[in-house]
This record gives sequence, structure tokens and C-alpha cells, in this order.
Amino acid sequence: MSSEYLIEFVDVWKKYAMHHLHHRSLREDIVSIFKKDSGETLKNTEFWALQRINLSVRRGECIGLYGPNGSGKSTILKIIAAVTRPSRGDVTVRGRVAPLIELGAGFHPDLSGRENIYLNGAIVGMSLKEIKNKIDEIIEFSELSDFIEMPVKKYSSGMYLRLGFSVAVHSSADILLMDEILAVGDARFQKKCLDKIRQLKPNRCMVLVSHSLQMLSDFADAIIYIEKGQIKEG
Amino acid sequence: MTTMAFFRRLYEYRDLLLVFVWREFLVRYRQTLLGLVWVLAQPLSMMALFIFIFSYVLKIKFGSVPPVLFYFSGLVPWLFFSTALNYAIPSLTNHHVLITKIYFPYEILPLSGISLAFIDYLIHMIFFMLLLVLYKVHLTWNVLWYPVLALQLLLFTFSIALFLSGLNVYYRDVKMATGFLIQLWFFASPVMYSIDNLDMKIKILLFANPLTFIIENMRRCLFEGRGVIMDQMVLVTVFIVLLCWASYKYFLRIGRAFADVI
Repeated sequence: MSSEYLIEFVDVWKKYAMHHLHHRSLREDIVSIFKKDSGETLKNTEFWALQRINLSVRRGECIGLYGPNGSGKSTILKIIAAVTRPSRGDVTVRGRVAPLIELGAGFHPDLSGRENIYLNGAIVGMSLKEIKNKIDEIIEFSELSDFIEMPVKKYSSGMYLRLGFSVAVHSSADILLMDEILAVGDARFQKKCLDKIRQLKPNRCMVLVSHSLQMLSDFADAIIYIEKGQIKEG
Repeated sequence: MTTMAFFRRLYEYRDLLLVFVWREFLVRYRQTLLGLVWVLAQPLSMMALFIFIFSYVLKIKFGSVPPVLFYFSGLVPWLFFSTALNYAIPSLTNHHVLITKIYFPYEILPLSGISLAFIDYLIHMIFFMLLLVLYKVHLTWNVLWYPVLALQLLLFTFSIALFLSGLNVYYRDVKMATGFLIQLWFFASPVMYSIDNLDMKIKILLFANPLTFIIENMRRCLFEGRGVIMDQMVLVTVFIVLLCWASYKYFLRIGRAFADVI
């Protein structure tokens, strides 16, 4: 069997509306509940966030997305995470996805570090049993064991990110999505994170978004340049 | 089919639901002095106020039912409904960061709000049962209707919460209207009054609100020892089940676009 593709995009297009939603009439919404938008054409305030995107990633592979702000990199991650649907084209995603975006997005400031590990672990798709088994490992990796019973609102921003990263990399998901998250903490901790990711790589499939070409070329098997929603060849 | 799919989705993400409920429960009473006492503070203070206004100032009587029981029996289901809506309606928009990044069945968010209100409800019920014993209320077998009515209340609350929380993603007007809507709904439900002595026309109008049926019959089967009227029961049940199905369908449909519009 040839190696399995965990992510496949075939001619994917995605459009977004520019206008604020309150201007849209209720009638239009209700109609769109029942009628499927064919998605072929643009209405006047819409634009294509992605056009003709084709890509595929195998297990053990890592691809890097590179391009200016607003070029559509995060939209691709959202489609892989099934948070949003493409307007056109086919997307196949096999396996569990853990989006490691905005570390600590699911944290609650009033809860302790330990409690937040449970919360964030569940959010990135870990079962309670899995979290219970890995919690010591997670705390150890974060190097926060002295502060783990403290509410995270008292954490420094570096500690916050460290805890978020530690939870995220202990998820057993097949597909890891990483949006500019590798700038975690000080240089030493950063190196530790990069080593951890390198260690995870063979069994996973990763999609990396970064503005650092250096970083991408270190990790990614292929770098995809995206500009104005389209893949630039070469 | 829909019901099966609903439970299957929920089962798959049960740990997440559990964690959300647990988080809200912890967070609510953290840094409070009185903690769980707050759960009873609301119904007790409202009951005291009703007794003062209606029994002392206006001197209204409800047959042989002691005012304490009369008001508490209305407040328990009402507070479940209103608390659940208050938690559930902003639950999706409060989590916009998660919704735009991570896929999970979004109904978990309003459901965790409802579950939290349900914990309060259980505490209120325990207190209510103590009151029933204390006042030596004579119960008949018709009390078995009570859990059926409670199940109706749960399903009705679920439907309204799902409908409004989803709509709130598109139109924040819903959140603006919540406080005022709940207040109106309170007066339209027989919490501090009984519909017994009203005109038939007004009765029918009030019965358009399923809470009227639920609360009135809860009192009927507890205090009067009588069962429900079957025709009404069937009608209300069919209505609530259809409402539940429709609002869940609608939620799934508009949920696909939540990340794009939130």
C-alpha cells in the first residue's frame, strides 16, 4: 500500500463576505438555511479567500505554509480543522485533528494550571482518561510544577504559553495544525519545543504556518507559497 | 434518526461536555464567600418577596395550599428555565475563539449552560421535597406525573435555548433582548399566580406558553392529588417534541456557518 494521505485538497475555493452581518436581512439568512448556495459566483461584497488550492499530506510528512498576512494560510487550517467548509472543491481529512493555534485559547483565568490542563486537553480532543495518564508528563514538560495549583491569571504570558504548548503536544491526534506557535518562551524552552515536535513528526502529519522561512525549511518537507489565496508555483 | 445522531455526537464528545460543566461549576463559586448558599438565595428571597406582597399586602389566598409551597412550586421550574436561558444564550458567542479554531459539536456549549442550571434545579428540588415533608403534604399516586412534567420542562428549555443561542451568533439583538424577554415570560407564566379563576379566553391565551401547562399541572398533581388531562398532555407533548426536533435541525444547519459569521 502506498503511504496514506491524511489531508487531501482538490480544487478548493473559499469565499468570504466583507460586509458586517447585521446588514444582512433575516430573510436572506432563512432562505440560505433551506437553499444550498451553489458557491460558483461572487456577490458584490464577497471575495475569494482561497482559489484552486490543491494539496495533499501523508503521515510522517510536514508541510509549511508561507505567505503575507491575509493570504489565506489560516483559512486552510480552518478548513482542515472542519471549522469552516469550502465553497467549492473536495476536502478529505483522515484522522483526528488537533489545532494548536493560539495556545491557551481555552484557558480560564480563574482556574488553576492543573484544572486548565484538563480543560484545554479536552478542547484539543483528549479524553479525560488520556489526560489523567499524561498529566504528570505535561506538567513536567511545562516546567511549571511549582505553580501548577495557582490560578493561571497570575501566570506570566510566557508561563501561559508554556502550559498551552505542553498540553497541545501531548495530544495523540494524527494531524497537528500549528499557526505561528513555535515562539514559545525563552530560547531554551523554544529549543525544547522544537525537539519535541521533531520527535512527534514520524507518526503524525503536520501543517505549519510561519513567517519565518528559516523555521519552515528546518521542519517542513515542502513549503507552499500562498499569495492572495492562490498557490504560487516554484 | 435525528435523536440517535444527537446522542451519538454527544457521546463521542461527552468528556468535553463534562469538562465544560465542571469548569462553569467551579468558576461560578470561586472567590465567593457563601458558595453554594447562593443557589438557594434566589428562590428563597423571591418567595419571601411574593409572600410579603401577595399574602400580607394584597391578602391573596390559594385555597388550602400554604403560600410557601405555592410560590416555591412555581419558582423551581421557572428558575430552571430562566437560568438555563441566561447561561445558554451567550454561550456560543462567549466562546468565539474556540468556535473559529476547533471543531466540536457546538450544541455542547448551550447544553453545558443547561446542565449547570439543572444542577441548581436538583438542589432546589431537594429543598422543595423537604418543604413538602415539613408541611405534611398528602401525596397521591398522581405525583408520578411530576417527573413527566419535569421532562417536558427540560425538553422545552433545550429547544428554546438551542434556538436562541444559535440566533445570537447571527444577531446580537438576541442577547440584548434576553433580559427583557425573560422578564415578560415570567409574567406570562403562572409562577406567582394561578390561572384557575381566569376567563376561558385568557386561559387559552396563556396555554400558548407551554410553561403554563407544566407549572399548573405540577401544582395540580402535588397539591390537589389529581392527574393531568390526557388531551392536553398529548397536545403539549407533541408540540414540545416537534419543537425540539425542529430547533435541533435548525441548529445543526446554521452551525455549519458559525465560524464564518460569529
